[in-house]
Amino acid sequence: MPDPQDRQPFDLTRRQVLEAGTIVSLTGTMLPAAALAQPAGPRPSPENGMTVPLSFHLSFRVNGRPTALDVDARTSLLDLLRERLGLVGAKKGCDHGQCGACTVHLDGRRVASCLTMAAKANGRDVTTIEGIAGANGLHPMQQAFIDHDALQCGYCTPGQIMAAIACVKEGHASTPEQIKEYMSGNICRCGAYVGIVAAIEQAAPRIERS
Amino acid sequence: MTPNRNADRPRIDAHEKVLGRALYAADQPFPGLLHAMTVPATIAKGRVLSIDTAAALQVPGVVRVFTHDDFSQIRTTPAARGAYGQPGKGYQPMTAPQVRHRGEPVALVVAETLEAAVEGAEAVTVRYAEDPFSARMDDDLASPEPDAVSPLASGDAEAAFASAVHTIDVEYRHPQQHHNPIELISTTAAFEDGTLRIYEGTQSAAAFAGGLAGMMGMEPQALRGVSPYTGGGFGQKNGVQEQSVLVASAALLLRRPVKLVVPRGQLFHTASYRPHSRHRVRLAADGDGRLLAGIYETVQQNSRYDGFASDHGATPPRMYGYGAWRGRERIVRVDTQTPGHQRAPYEHPASHATECALDELAGALGMDPVALRLANDTQRDPITGKPFSSRHLADCLRRGAALFGWDRRTNQPGALVAENGDRIGLGVACGSYKAAMTPSVTTLRLSAGGQCRIATSGHEMGQGIRSVIAAELIDVLGVDPDKLDIRIGDTGHAPQHLTAGSWGAGSAAPAARAAALKLREELSQLTEAALSDEPVPVQLARTRRPYLEVSVDTVPLGKDRQAIEQLRRGMPVTTGPEYPDFLAFSWIAHFAEVHVEPSTGRVRVRRVVSVADCGRVMNRRTAESQVRGGVVWGIGAALREVAECDPRFGGVLNNDLAEYVVPVNADIGAIDVDFIDEPDSRLNPSGVKGLGEVAMVGAAAAIVNAVHNATGKRIRHLPIRIEDLL
Amino acid sequence: MKPLSYVQVRTAREAIEAFVAAGESARYIAGGTNLYDLMKLGIEKPAHLIDIADLDGANRIDTDGDRLFFGGAALMADVAEHPVVRDDYPVLAESLSKAASQQLRNMATVGGNLLQRTRCPYFRNGANGAYPCNKREPGSGCAAIGGMDRSQAVLGASAACNAVSPGDWPVALMAMDAAIELQGLDGPRVIPIAELYRPPSRTPHLEFTIGREEIVTGISVPKTAAGRTSTYLKVRDRESYAFALVSAAVALEMDGDRVRQAHVALGGVATVPWRARPAEALLRGETLDRERALEAARAAFAEARAGRHNAFKIELGARTLADAIINAGSKSR
Repeated sequence: MPDPQDRQPFDLTRRQVLEAGTIVSLTGTMLPAAALAQPAGPRPSPENGMTVPLSFHLSFRVNGRPTALDVDARTSLLDLLRERLGLVGAKKGCDHGQCGACTVHLDGRRVASCLTMAAKANGRDVTTIEGIAGANGLHPMQQAFIDHDALQCGYCTPGQIMAAIACVKEGHASTPEQIKEYMSGNICRCGAYVGIVAAIEQAAPRIERS
Repeated sequence: MTPNRNADRPRIDAHEKVLGRALYAADQPFPGLLHAMTVPATIAKGRVLSIDTAAALQVPGVVRVFTHDDFSQIRTTPAARGAYGQPGKGYQPMTAPQVRHRGEPVALVVAETLEAAVEGAEAVTVRYAEDPFSARMDDDLASPEPDAVSPLASGDAEAAFASAVHTIDVEYRHPQQHHNPIELISTTAAFEDGTLRIYEGTQSAAAFAGGLAGMMGMEPQALRGVSPYTGGGFGQKNGVQEQSVLVASAALLLRRPVKLVVPRGQLFHTASYRPHSRHRVRLAADGDGRLLAGIYETVQQNSRYDGFASDHGATPPRMYGYGAWRGRERIVRVDTQTPGHQRAPYEHPASHATECALDELAGALGMDPVALRLANDTQRDPITGKPFSSRHLADCLRRGAALFGWDRRTNQPGALVAENGDRIGLGVACGSYKAAMTPSVTTLRLSAGGQCRIATSGHEMGQGIRSVIAAELIDVLGVDPDKLDIRIGDTGHAPQHLTAGSWGAGSAAPAARAAALKLREELSQLTEAALSDEPVPVQLARTRRPYLEVSVDTVPLGKDRQAIEQLRRGMPVTTGPEYPDFLAFSWIAHFAEVHVEPSTGRVRVRRVVSVADCGRVMNRRTAESQVRGGVVWGIGAALREVAECDPRFGGVLNNDLAEYVVPVNADIGAIDVDFIDEPDSRLNPSGVKGLGEVAMVGAAAAIVNAVHNATGKRIRHLPIRIEDLL
Repeated sequence: MKPLSYVQVRTAREAIEAFVAAGESARYIAGGTNLYDLMKLGIEKPAHLIDIADLDGANRIDTDGDRLFFGGAALMADVAEHPVVRDDYPVLAESLSKAASQQLRNMATVGGNLLQRTRCPYFRNGANGAYPCNKREPGSGCAAIGGMDRSQAVLGASAACNAVSPGDWPVALMAMDAAIELQGLDGPRVIPIAELYRPPSRTPHLEFTIGREEIVTGISVPKTAAGRTSTYLKVRDRESYAFALVSAAVALEMDGDRVRQAHVALGGVATVPWRARPAEALLRGETLDRERALEAARAAFAEARAGRHNAFKIELGARTLADAIINAGSKSR
């Protein structure tokens, strides 16, 4: 018996990989990658042409833009934003409300989008990291995060910034201790906490309380 | 050109990151993307008797359910998880109907939507025959291997210890801990430009080209590893993961792009972790605190099949001028997934044991712990007798003590009391980490319009390697930071070396610097005149050339051209700590102030002062962040993190971020950082040593020592939790 | 997670009708922070979800009468921040603000929080058959007893289950003698909060006394001066964003320096929100000092039974409760 280690497991060559790529590009149904350059707003895509078993007609606003689509009623708001609307700023770090990386604003309040069923956003306003910078520049909180190097790998950063803006608007940014407590729902494994607190202290006076 | 030592500028990729535009592996869109979900094994060891996929295949949207029948021809190669470069080691699940650790994937469901993939995975029914197993080092069926005597030895340590007046003989224990970068480990395999591209947040894109190709029996050119941003690595993303080859294979077999984001709960059972370890430390000193001998013996958990050796004994003998030293290491094999390198993998547990033991010795001698360390400072490695390339540890200690207010401390535990009645404890500990380097192949193109594009080896996982590369390009060429295009973490741009072991800056900075200097030189030859102080792009524009491009290979000190060939083949090539004429390490001193609530025993780390000698500081702002991050890791390791394993079941019981408690914002007090900032020009032209790992080394020990100073209790295991101080 | 239907309703009547029409596999969902989480873990498997988060008026907070009233769908964050609750009933406000994170408090409702299920890891992690659990799968056994039980209960456990009741808010409500307003098929009814919870006994899968179709429409708390002399102290493995190892809700009715009546409840240590009557009895008529507080606190744990790794909770619990008693008492001055 020949040594299995000597065989080509998939009998695939470079040419066949090329072919596979061709097949995909001909049959692909989803959005073009270039659409990703658009800073804000949703880009609904079909779920690979599949008929969703039990769907819910969701009509809401994402970063100010009215959006309507049928969603699988099981879907989380996070998966809807990332997998269907191409808004990948909100991140999945735990999928159970335990890390804060998925934080977005729902009607102006911060929520964990991984534990929010997408259907619950019906008729409401969702704001993501893609929707907070002005036409002419960064949101003051974004600038403060740069100034104080309140990030390292950047993965938790969109969630941190969305939480930080809400923290100020709620009126929970009056002391460093209060900021620490009210930012504890956002884990930064790189350990940028000192910078995060400093950034919020800097940005707070420039953000209106709601 | 003398390197600039005053750089303090924004992190080079911060803008993309605060806008949410930095695209991580799982953020990439692809037409027709399929979603995958794994079915984890519910036993710790045994055989798979049958897998019933019928119900899963009935789930609308499910395209295919893969089992070991589909993947039996995947090869276990030196790239397989846990092999650590050794052929025949490691383990790739789903290549046979067997289970070697709880939670390993036994089936892979691929579907049109994520929801369908998850539903499908839940619908797969697996029957097992379970075998006896041991999930912990102390269990009956655990298999200890013979002791390995460390080659790092000097003098007759046993005799010196036996005849010494002042001795310490203690055992410290370190628990199993998990990296938990916030980016979930994921794999996306997609076809682009005739190659299979693997998008995975990684510290080693090469593992996803050459490594996976080897496992799949394909030509290396057919695969490309892409990881421009990694959402935290800390050593967990050092190579091919358990699911990587499964996803790549699924994409090939289905001829469609496939994405799998591994759930956090499963990662505790498939990704690497810091193994449980025990450390016996014997120290001997004379009445003046001169260290006469150190004897250091460790026992470390390992999986049944991996090549992950113990190397705890590598740095402690170099910390101080020990008169004699002996070390020994043992591994114990158990039925878990393979452990791995987690930030300061050996140095942190070793510093916990040895720096706490040193604190105990200072107590026994009635000596100040800083004074004890200063009394044993050395400029030569006690093992080889060679000098250190640079060692400013004593300066770190002196400056740190001054910044911290160390003179408040006495050896009497509980002497300092806060206004609210908390006991205040002050502790110190030191750390070191080897200064290593790797080869690079770098291409640099400067356009007359000021655009500057560099392609080189390195992975950005938050440590700031882009900012380090940028610092050299700005320093040498005067380019605009906003016009930099830094292409790393992608085998399509340049050969990629594993980024780990704190060799990122020491490798990427000299590479960028060499490329920039070569570009200056070529421009100078073109203009037939020496360059002025003006920004180089301006001088280039005057030549009316659209751009200038150079390529340069950098070979680290002590290596030859072969290193470049090894790099091109995707093989690891690292140096240090021993070089022909010296040894090179980064050094650090940590000072910790803890407050212990008397009624509940809650420990709060109010302030840490850390002073590091990492050679030249490439960017003050990102360097400070890196040290603060290391300190936060020290706090987590010292006071929070432990994987709970029920020996009856195996696996990690607290496998989520609610129950595996990593530090949150409210856990962190002030962390003040300073640097010696003396370039180590003997090591490389950039003068830089590493920082990311040394930042953590000793931080936990400083906290443990501070807890002792507050309470008089010497806790010899981690983490110190409430029940330890009640 | 299997496909499911989802409807949003406006009135309790509509909700109950939808529930009855949907049959066995229906569940109400409010914030979803616990239910949806458990659905992702494969522990809860509803086929029909009826969203009651937006019932008309269900988020009402009314502090005008002789009782505080919180609509069942009022958000935890909103109740925590309500000025009357914050200033006059710190035990209530603190029990909410120390729970979870602000993101989750912006989603979770005060009604739904009463029904939060245990964090026992053998319960949460075992949906795929990895661990036996009587609560998840009646009759399968309890892996936590004799297992890694550091987080398990020392009070109220049975031979079938020692899982901790995880909430903070229910503990504070227990101390404050709250009443729970329910609406079901037969119309509205009101029960004391203590009657909401079932000890595990031999049926740990039965956690609540209310009917499956019943909705928590509101929570009312009698107004009392003890509200101002109250506190919620929570000790956990990190400073924030963690479940309690031990928590203590204390409200004191003071008569000068003396305690006229103490209201004490414990969390993190028991299988249900735990009213500590023995401690209350010992505090009655006493002037407060550390020694008396600790004596009363120890009495609260007289019946406690430790497992293999959770004995520390008994001492920690007593000290935490003593701290809470002293802290609450200090507010009367």
